[in-house]
This record gives sequence, C-alpha cells and structure tokens, in this order.
Amino acid sequence: MQFTLRTLGLIGAVVGLMMSSLAQAGDALAKRVDEFINSRLKEGPTALSCGDASFVRRVYLDLAGRIPSATEATAFLDDNNPNKRVALIDKLLASPDYARRMADQFHAMLMERRGENTEWNKFLLTSFEANKPWDQLAKEILDPDSNHDVNRGAAFFHTKRLEKVGQQDTDYPGLTRDVGRLFLGMDLQCAQCHNHLFIESYKQSDFQGLFTVYQNTFIRTDLKFPAIGEKLMTKKQDFSSVFDKVAMSTGPRVPGASEVEIPTFEKNEEYITPPDRKTNFPGIPRFRPMAMIARDLANSTNKSFANNFANRVWFLMMGRGLVNPLDQQHVGNAASHPELLDALAQSAVDLKFDLKAVLRQIALSEVYQRDSVLPSGTAAVKPESYRVANEKRLTAEQIMASVLVATGTREKPTELKGDAEKNRAAFVKAFGNVPTDPEVEFSPSLKSSLFLLNDALIMDCLQPQPGHLIDRLTQTEDAKTLANELYLCVLTRQPTAEESAAVSEYLSKNPDRKAAAVTNLAWSLLASTEFCLNH
Amino acid sequence: MTNPLCKPWEHRLSRRQWFGSAAGAAGVVGLGGLPMPVLADEIRRKYKQILFVWLDGGVSQLESWDPKPNTEFGGPFRAIPTSVPGVHFSELLPRTARQMHHLAVCRSVCTQDDAHSSGVDRIQRGDPKNRGVIYPYFGAAVTKLLGPNDSGLPPYVWIKPLSGGFMHKDAGFLGPKYGSLAFGDGKPPENLLQHASVSDRDLKERAALRTLADQRYAQTHRSGSTDANSFVFDMGLELMRRQDLFDTTKFSPQDVERYGTHDLGRHMLQARKMLDAGVTFVKVNSYGWDSHGDNFNGSLSLVSKFDQPFAAMIEDLAERGMLDNVLVIAMSEFGRTPRINGHLGRDHWPEAWSIAMAGCGLKKGLVVGETNGNGTYVKSEPYDIGHMFHTWFNALGINSQKAEYNNAGQPLPIAHEDMHPVKELLA
Repeated sequence: MQFTLRTLGLIGAVVGLMMSSLAQAGDALAKRVDEFINSRLKEGPTALSCGDASFVRRVYLDLAGRIPSATEATAFLDDNNPNKRVALIDKLLASPDYARRMADQFHAMLMERRGENTEWNKFLLTSFEANKPWDQLAKEILDPDSNHDVNRGAAFFHTKRLEKVGQQDTDYPGLTRDVGRLFLGMDLQCAQCHNHLFIESYKQSDFQGLFTVYQNTFIRTDLKFPAIGEKLMTKKQDFSSVFDKVAMSTGPRVPGASEVEIPTFEKNEEYITPPDRKTNFPGIPRFRPMAMIARDLANSTNKSFANNFANRVWFLMMGRGLVNPLDQQHVGNAASHPELLDALAQSAVDLKFDLKAVLRQIALSEVYQRDSVLPSGTAAVKPESYRVANEKRLTAEQIMASVLVATGTREKPTELKGDAEKNRAAFVKAFGNVPTDPEVEFSPSLKSSLFLLNDALIMDCLQPQPGHLIDRLTQTEDAKTLANELYLCVLTRQPTAEESAAVSEYLSKNPDRKAAAVTNLAWSLLASTEFCLNH
Repeated sequence: MTNPLCKPWEHRLSRRQWFGSAAGAAGVVGLGGLPMPVLADEIRRKYKQILFVWLDGGVSQLESWDPKPNTEFGGPFRAIPTSVPGVHFSELLPRTARQMHHLAVCRSVCTQDDAHSSGVDRIQRGDPKNRGVIYPYFGAAVTKLLGPNDSGLPPYVWIKPLSGGFMHKDAGFLGPKYGSLAFGDGKPPENLLQHASVSDRDLKERAALRTLADQRYAQTHRSGSTDANSFVFDMGLELMRRQDLFDTTKFSPQDVERYGTHDLGRHMLQARKMLDAGVTFVKVNSYGWDSHGDNFNGSLSLVSKFDQPFAAMIEDLAERGMLDNVLVIAMSEFGRTPRINGHLGRDHWPEAWSIAMAGCGLKKGLVVGETNGNGTYVKSEPYDIGHMFHTWFNALGINSQKAEYNNAGQPLPIAHEDMHPVKELLA
C-alpha cells in the first residue's frame, strides 16, 4: 500500500488528537511515576524542580533533538502561563523536529552505528512522523515487507547484520542476539552453546529457538534496496549443550512464547510464489518463520517485549534503565523500581504502545523535571535513586544540531557548507561510538576532543557571519550584556555573577582582538562538559 | 667475505659494548657523535613500557634467529657469530647479532594455528582457552593491566604502513577505550594538526577557558563527567604539542640514517620517540613476510630491512638505560617450513619457530629452547604463545597466574590458564 507523506501526516494528526484525549485520562501515569520513585526514597535531600532554563534546554534536547534557539528560550522564559511546561511538551511532540529526533535516536539504538541507508532512514522518519505504535514498528522491522514502498527499508536491520565481513562466517548468532537484546531486553549471547552460566532464565533453547529462524535467512540479491529472504524450513533445529551433550531440538520460538509447529507441505506447495532462477527471485515460502517471530514477539502479551519498551523509553528520558543494563532483563537483575516498571509496561500496553503518549507521561512527572543539582553540601547520590536528574549522554546528532543552533542567528541555526550527509557523518564519527558499541554512557574520546579542537566544521561555525553568534557578540559593547547573550545562546542559561565577571575580565585583557576573544569564549563553552550533556 | 653492510665504525662501537662500558654518564658520546640526551635521567622514571614489533606473514626463523646452515633445509645463507659466544644468527642479521648480549631468544615456540586469518588474532590475543569472549590484543591487555602513566599521551600507539585511526577491535571485551591509536605511515590522526584559523595564543586561551568552565560545572554536578572530558582534552592538547613525534622533518638526520629511510626504519625511529615520550605500548607493523615463493631473496630484502632499525633500537634503548623498563618483542604469527617448496619458498610452520625479546624483567644474552638438527621440530620443551604471555606479563611485574580481568562480573584469566611463565627467560 502506498501512502503519501501528507496522508500520513493527516492520519498522524487525527491519531494524535485521539491519543491526547486518551493521554488526558492517563495523566495518572505521570503521578504513578512520582509515587513509585518517591516511595523508595528514604530520608534525605531531593533536588527541587529544575528552573525554567534547565527545563527548556532538557525538554528541547529530549523531544526535539537540539537546544532551543535564543528566541525560543527567551519566549519560554518570559512566558507567564502557569501551564507553560505542559504546553511546551505538547508543542515539541507535535513539531517536525520530534520525528527527526526519534528517527536519529532509534537509528542509533537499533543499528549501533553499523552503517547508514536511505531506505532505512525513510522508514524510521515516516514511522515517527505518523507516531507509529512501537509494536507495529517492531513488526515491520522483524518481518520487513519488500513490497511496501515506504517501509521496505526496515529490512536494513537484518541485512546490515548479515553482511559478510572478510572471510568470517555470516554472523547469524549476532543477529539472533540483537533481536533478543533490542526487542526483548535479553542478551542471549552466552546461551548459544549451553544454558547461561549465571543467568538462570536464559536457556540455550531460548537462543536456539530464535537462531533457527535467523540462520535460515539471507540477503536478497534480486532487489536494489535492503531485503531479506527466507529459505524453506522443513525440520527443527538440533542442538545440544557443550556440557552434557543431551540432544535437543526446537522449532521457531520467541522466548516466553510457545514453539511454532513446522508444517509439512505437498511437493510444489512449499512456496506461495516459487523461485525464479532467471530473475534471481528467491521465492516466497508458504511457511515464513520471520512472520511468526514478528507475531509472537511484538505483541502486548509478551511481557519481555512490553518491559523492554518501557525500560528503553524510561532510559531515553531519565538517563538510566529501570533495569540496568538495558539488555539484561532477568529475575536475578531486578529493576530498581519493579512496580514502576510493571506500571510503565502496563500503561504502554493500555496506550497501545503509543510512544508519544508514554514520553509525554514521563515528561509530565515531577521526577523528570527534577533539577540535576543537589542542595549544596549533599554527598553524591546513587543514579538509580532519581533524587536528582541524571546526566544523559547526547547523540552525535543532538550535538551537531545544538552546535548549529548555538552558533547561528537568534532564530536560525548555522548552515554548514558542503554535503549535508558528509557533515553529519563527520559528527557521528567524532561523537558516536564504534560500530556495535551501544551508546549508553557519556564517553568522550580523543576523536571528539580533537574534532572540537581542530575540525573545519567547528571552525566554520565560529566564523563571524552576519547576524550569527560570533558577529552579534563582537558587536555587543557592554560586557555584561555580552556574557548574558553568550550563555543564553550556548548553555541556555544566565551566567552566574562569577562567570559574568570572568567574561568581563577576559575581554578587557583583549581589547584589540575582540572577535578572537569572543570566539575563544564561545568555543570554550561548546567544548565544555555542560554543553555536551543533557542535564 | 665482508658484509656489504658492515662499516668500520660499527666494529669500534661493538668492541666498546663488549668491554661493557656503561652508557648514560654525562659526557659520553652517543652514536653519530651526538651528546647523550639529558632525557636519560628522566627516562629513569621507569614507566614500564613495551615495544612490540610485528612482522606480519611469518618471518623465517631459519633466515633469522635459528639458522641451520649446511643441513637438508638450511638454505643458502650462512650463520654468523653474535656478541654471545656460541650463539649464531643468520648472516642476514649482522647488526642485530652484535646486540645479542641484550637479547633473549626463544627457539622452541610451538603454536596451534597455521593460518594468517585466524592465527594473527589468536597469537596477538594470547590464544587463551575459549571463554566465549574476545580477548584483547597484548597491547590493549597491557594498557588495562598496567594502568595509565602520567605521560599525558595515549597509552597504546600503533605505527603501521597505510591507514591509521582509532583501532577499537584490538581491545576485545575490554571495550574500545583500550584500542590503539594508529599512525598510518607515521602520520597523526585526523584533526590532530592545529587548524589554520587557530593561533597558538587562541589555543592556549581556549584550553584555559574550557578547563575553567568544566571546573565550575563540576562544583555542582558529579565530577565524573568533567574528569572524563578533561582527560581527552588534555590528551588531545598534549598530542598537539608533540608534533616532534610525527613531524619527520624534526627527526635528527643521524637517527634517520642509522634507522634507515625505508618505511620500517622510519616507523621504528618514530617508535623510539614514542617510547622516549612515555607511551606505554608501542606496536610497529611490518608487512610482506609471507615468503611462500622466493623465500631467500625475500628474506635477504626483508630481514635486512628489519636488522638495521631493530639493532639501532636495541642499541639506543641500552644506552639510555631503557632496557631496564622497556620490554621488547619481535615476532610473527608463526615461522616458516624447513622444507623448501617448489617456488623456492617456505610455507607456514607453527610447529617450531622463534621469538626474539629483550629488556624489562628478562635475562640478557641467552637462548632458551632448541630445535632439532634440521629445524623441523622443537627438541626441548615446546612453548605456546600462552607461555609467552605469561612470561611477558611477569616480566612487567604482573602475576599472570593470579591477576584476572573482570568482564562485567565474569572473572577471566589474563593468559592461558593451563600454561605458565618460562622461568628460564625471566630475570
């Protein structure tokens, strides 16, 4: 079926209206978040609600993937409406930046910097523009439809992982593992050859039930876009533990669901559409295990699936999974707040996996809006207590967008010269992790520091273009005003008296090289930890 | 017959060393007539460091460390005496032969894998027992186990031909942080060179302002993040300051001549400068050693290319007193077959080969282990790469049989758990 983007947008708007009325009724989730978190806090200080400056920066980064422009920040800060925070959350969820932000974030999460693909990007972007429910998104990834013009790129999740690297075997175990990790929160890697040695609930049969499906797939060579084919499956997968060598077998099975029976067919009945040697068309089998996996896994009755969704959305907004690490959901690794995880998962199911709705509830909570600074004199607290807002790593895309906003005019971000894709790739190379390394914690690297120090793209942003940050600052006579503008544009806050004085002092030491001095000041804030984190 | 590479002044030097005159005293004239660098005392800060020379493809032990002239498989080259009486090398290692009194050579290496694609990885990861994880390369392992020093430079540097960059695969389960920083043909990584628009003064002021900004942030936020960020900025700035480590025009012409102007020569000289600067683990790669065809002409060319800079390196390290704290290893993924094939070549032979070592924690001037008369098999106790890893860790002061990695709760031995250090090699 073919949808135009406009149609999708209209549908999205209608769905959005429906969802927001559903969401009104479900504001209760936000309250339950606060109840569950606060009830576990013993005596001791808790951060207050963050100020408006912190809030506007945090929520723009989380929902729009960038810092607010000076104009946007000022508008929010000057607004007297007591409901302005709710209004801003809703505004950002409805903005086009939201879809780009989520597409970037889920791309980083699902592909872990293995590579880029325009069809995959198109699939993600249109999905988030339409606020596609997570279970449907997951199904479309787990069982991609090569006939669907917009969604066919979803197959990239599989095809990239099946690409052969040099002389190594095709990494079917890696693909199996990632399906478990990313959609069920279960890292079954150590259960390939035996039951997991210290996680009781990860059985070899869990791994093998998925593995039998994926080692039966292949990259289609007859299509120009990423596409997956499946061979005929006629028998169960035999396996045995390397320890006891007891022979076992399994058909396709999602952990937590029942085994799928492998049907037998009459000769010539195995394919819906038989293979065609001439065109290299591999044929469509009548029995397709990938469809069974999609059906059984991306399903509200699969508790791991719901928990994984809830946990990962929580991680996005709160900087830490309730279950940590994100792919270690098991009985021996309890959530920091088990009832909260259950409540979030249940709400997600009730809300039919509406991502915007769940994000909205979390954003409305008092816990989300806590300051990241503790009352002075307090010792460090555990991140899983949520006494303070946790620092959150920014993706390369968030950093790039924020650098462009900070250095642009008060309304428009800097426009970089050159190929947009190349520029984006340069930021990803500097600030992203290496392929297959999940981006969870803040991990600055020599790559990122050298990029900020010397890369032409950063230097371009700091060139004095008319109306842009450096130009505006250079034209500002009063040092205090200059400091205010600098801190507002780059760090989305007022400078402290100390910081203001330091700016004044530095400028007074450099009276005949103001542009250079102003550039150095701006650079130092862009390269600071405060800029590179969401806090 | 005189060795065409042998110059009279080299003999003078050798005699001086045989008489055991100590280097490092002020006023001693070093090689090429330059006064000894004052660095010598600084170097005695005694960071444990490693120089790991990887001869990719399989250096022939019969054309290097364990010659068998006048035997069935010996080939046309002769053996020459070294600075250790009774020990002979192939005539293709004339300069290194004069450094033998610093070296420890194991001739009884016997490993499992005769393929490059799997063997290189297995050897460099120490080929431990399969625990379902990818073990780190020796360099990443040492970086982790020794911990950082205060040189301010990246701990694991790899100097190699062709491309460079941040090589995370070396690190295995330790994580990309422990990967190497590779200098492709000795060139610095991307964005290392100061951008044209940034003056030295600007750079200094930017660094200072950034540090201040982070200090302020750390006052109100958990400082872990600012520590991590400042660490990489400090390292970046330090690398930028050390252009002398990359700018070959700044290398002393005498050094360049001694090490050789060929790529391995240049890379080894750069490696020495990295060691001087305090980098913990420096790996140098040389490619093209897989002489399945024309092994003898191949070895003549390749071994000579190695001999010159390796000997210069040992000489320099010895003179600076750095052999006390720098561990030197030169090896491949396996040796080469004694049997000469139809292309006048030698094929892969993990069953009996040699590794040359020197420095920190090792004995000097000895050969450990021996092969049989025609070099086909190890005659004494065979040692696998696991034994070598145990030995090297212990040489660096790490108890290889007690120390463990902690891989997210999974304890893992640092070397093959059924093997042990080779005591005869350890000082």
